[in-house]
Amino acid sequence: MNLSSLTFLVAGLPVLLLCYYFMPNKGKQAALLTASFIFYGWGSPLRVLYLAACILFDYGIGLLLEHWREKKTLSCAVLAAAAVVHTAAMVWVRNAEATALLYPFGFAIYTLQGLGYLIAVYRGRHPAAVNLLHLALYLSFFPILYMGPMTTYLEFSEQIRRNHSSIVHLSEGLALYIRGLAEKVVLADTFGYVFRELRQTNGMSMLTAWLTTITFSLYLYFEMLGVSEMARGLGKCFGLELPRNFSQPFFRSTVTGFMQSWNITLVLWFQTNFRYFLFGSRHKKWQKYAILILMWILIGAWYGLTLQFLLWGLAVGVLLTLDQLVLEKVFRKNFVAGMLYTGIVMQFVWVLFFGDSLSETGSIWAAMLGFGNGLIDKHGVYFFTSYIALLLIGMYIATDLFRNITERLHSTKWGKILHVFQPVLYGLLMLFCVASMLYGDRVQGFWLRL
Amino acid sequence: MKQNNLHRWTVLVIAVVYLILLGETFHVFSLSDFPMPTFYGLINGTWAEQTETYLTEHIGFHDTLFRVKSQADLLLGEKRIRDVYVTDEMLLEKLTADNTLTPEDLAAPVSDFYEKTQIPTFLILVPSASEIYRTLLPANAVSDEQTSRIQEVYDAAVNGVHCIDACNVLKSQKDNYIYYRTDTHWTSYGAYYVYQSAIQKMGFTAIPYDRYVISHLSTDFRGDLYERTLYENVRSDVLDCYSYEGGAHITEVTAWYPDGSSGSRGNSIYSESALLSEDMYRFYLGAPCEQLVIKTNLDNGKKLLLYQDDFGDCMITFLLQHYSEIHIVNLNMAESGNVQIDPSEYTQALFLCSMENWEKLCDTNP
Repeated sequence: MNLSSLTFLVAGLPVLLLCYYFMPNKGKQAALLTASFIFYGWGSPLRVLYLAACILFDYGIGLLLEHWREKKTLSCAVLAAAAVVHTAAMVWVRNAEATALLYPFGFAIYTLQGLGYLIAVYRGRHPAAVNLLHLALYLSFFPILYMGPMTTYLEFSEQIRRNHSSIVHLSEGLALYIRGLAEKVVLADTFGYVFRELRQTNGMSMLTAWLTTITFSLYLYFEMLGVSEMARGLGKCFGLELPRNFSQPFFRSTVTGFMQSWNITLVLWFQTNFRYFLFGSRHKKWQKYAILILMWILIGAWYGLTLQFLLWGLAVGVLLTLDQLVLEKVFRKNFVAGMLYTGIVMQFVWVLFFGDSLSETGSIWAAMLGFGNGLIDKHGVYFFTSYIALLLIGMYIATDLFRNITERLHSTKWGKILHVFQPVLYGLLMLFCVASMLYGDRVQGFWLRL
Repeated sequence: MKQNNLHRWTVLVIAVVYLILLGETFHVFSLSDFPMPTFYGLINGTWAEQTETYLTEHIGFHDTLFRVKSQADLLLGEKRIRDVYVTDEMLLEKLTADNTLTPEDLAAPVSDFYEKTQIPTFLILVPSASEIYRTLLPANAVSDEQTSRIQEVYDAAVNGVHCIDACNVLKSQKDNYIYYRTDTHWTSYGAYYVYQSAIQKMGFTAIPYDRYVISHLSTDFRGDLYERTLYENVRSDVLDCYSYEGGAHITEVTAWYPDGSSGSRGNSIYSESALLSEDMYRFYLGAPCEQLVIKTNLDNGKKLLLYQDDFGDCMITFLLQHYSEIHIVNLNMAESGNVQIDPSEYTQALFLCSMENWEKLCDTNP
């Protein structure tokens, strides 16, 4: 099951909400854990056994780290061994044929959350979890395991203990879930469909190549944003405040600005648990940039263990270094030039992300530079004329301009009218999401492999 | 509105939407269509997939919701729904050629058949309406070309296989009602013109068109393209039945099914009950079966072995005027081996299939 399936929307979610809100307070956490296990077991119950084994492993290692807190060498060795086991398990689950039944499974997020928990215990940020239920719920909380947003055990367990859930949480949570669902099934699925169609073009023209990469970047953004927002919404329904994972990254004046608004909690995890944990915060300049590039190569590897993803990470790392060395200063005075530079360079970088091979990447890059099959072709013109309105809407929503206008609208007369009709608008948006889910050509997001 | 009231209203409205949606879903719920869970289905995930598919197809207000979404897409500039181009006159399927298959690959099944059996073999690959009515497609529409692809397959077939050009015949009649507006198939009228061209090459004289009595079975036929798009602005189709009173009559029809069973279908190939179903095109040859043997009162000793897909259904009525027996093998159903065919018993063999389907069949059963 996934958060944007009809099975979850029309059956799973109402049943879960009814059970949760009618359950006495003592049983709410157990209800959420059961729901998480059912969610993962749906389609392949074997996943539940695997998930349970992983949770018990982290629980045990956490207690060991706590027990040997004073014995630094021993606890360091245990942590290193646990990190190796986590990484090896992720690589195995991703690549082994025999683990097909374990998919779709948010193992990439699980690995980071589990490892993050152990590192925090090792560093003494918080004691090891004694309550297995709390840890199990943190590690398996179903809304966040596919695409985040990630949170720390400390924040999560405190909110679980407070157990705040009310009609306000439910209303805001449902509204957020529906907005995320719309981003996923209305926008991401359509951009994904256009991207798939364009990518099949033999001998791309310049127009088709640019459309391909732009639709991919919009697809990826709305796919990840939608799933993250759905997770935040569901979290809110159960009284949990999860952090924002995206913040309108398009049309930023630097690559740094773009990446600071993209998958925020993932980058934060790597900064906390890799960059600062392993290397500290004081370095020579060249060391700082080398660590930054290495961190982004690892982030690339987290997305997928292929040369393409590693090169994507390397490219982002190098661009961020360039930003910090020169470009941030240059573009501070010239926003438009910075926006153009970031927009164009990021489109080239996304080709590395979705390309199957270096030869495909090379041919799309060549086409983008005008060395492909001419400037325009029939395929490109058809999709440009058919989807230009949706592309513009998508790009607009992905920028700060949209956030600004919605914020300004709130204080106007129209904003107040919209505010009154907000419940009806959410009801209609939900029905439109259901309508979009009936098309049947849904895009199987690459994130299912995470 | 006070903030707390707003929250209450939001939850209430969403709950009402749920109640209406689920209420209608239960109203149209049919236990026989719902996938029953099995142990292996639960373990390997197929039951979960089937449940999702069931919900996608049977959720309350399905058609209304689907139309809302497709109209919104069309309004924003999209020109096709589920890979079907929407025009004012007809619905046209987007064609996708399988470039991994060479013309030789596509000609191989017929060439091999001829080389093995050495009986006169004929091949008709029927283009789709999107190929014949290319000018109706929206500007710059993406749809693979079929005429030259069919010619390449014909050129790749071995000498001895007689290839019949349906493309030019149909293009010459494109101003007539030769394809349904809401269905992928050709009309009986379109089938007649290709029959007329083919039967001469097969050594017979075609029955003139004016000898047939045409009855309109339905003027409200909406075909598979309508089912895919639910687009109502294209006129519904007319389903015709051609009968030739002075011609040959069917004496016996026997059908073989994939489970090995067989049964007589009396002395008619037509299925009146199909006219009451959603799939009216089934009228021409009844429920799908693996093989069908039609015997007529002609005693000329001519027997035709016909390998066909659905496009053949409405041509049978014309072909049976020339043969004492037609043995039909349904290309859409994998051979179960329940009925052994000895090609040497037949005078001629005809392969009749739409190009779109032929590529799919060659890809899945090379």
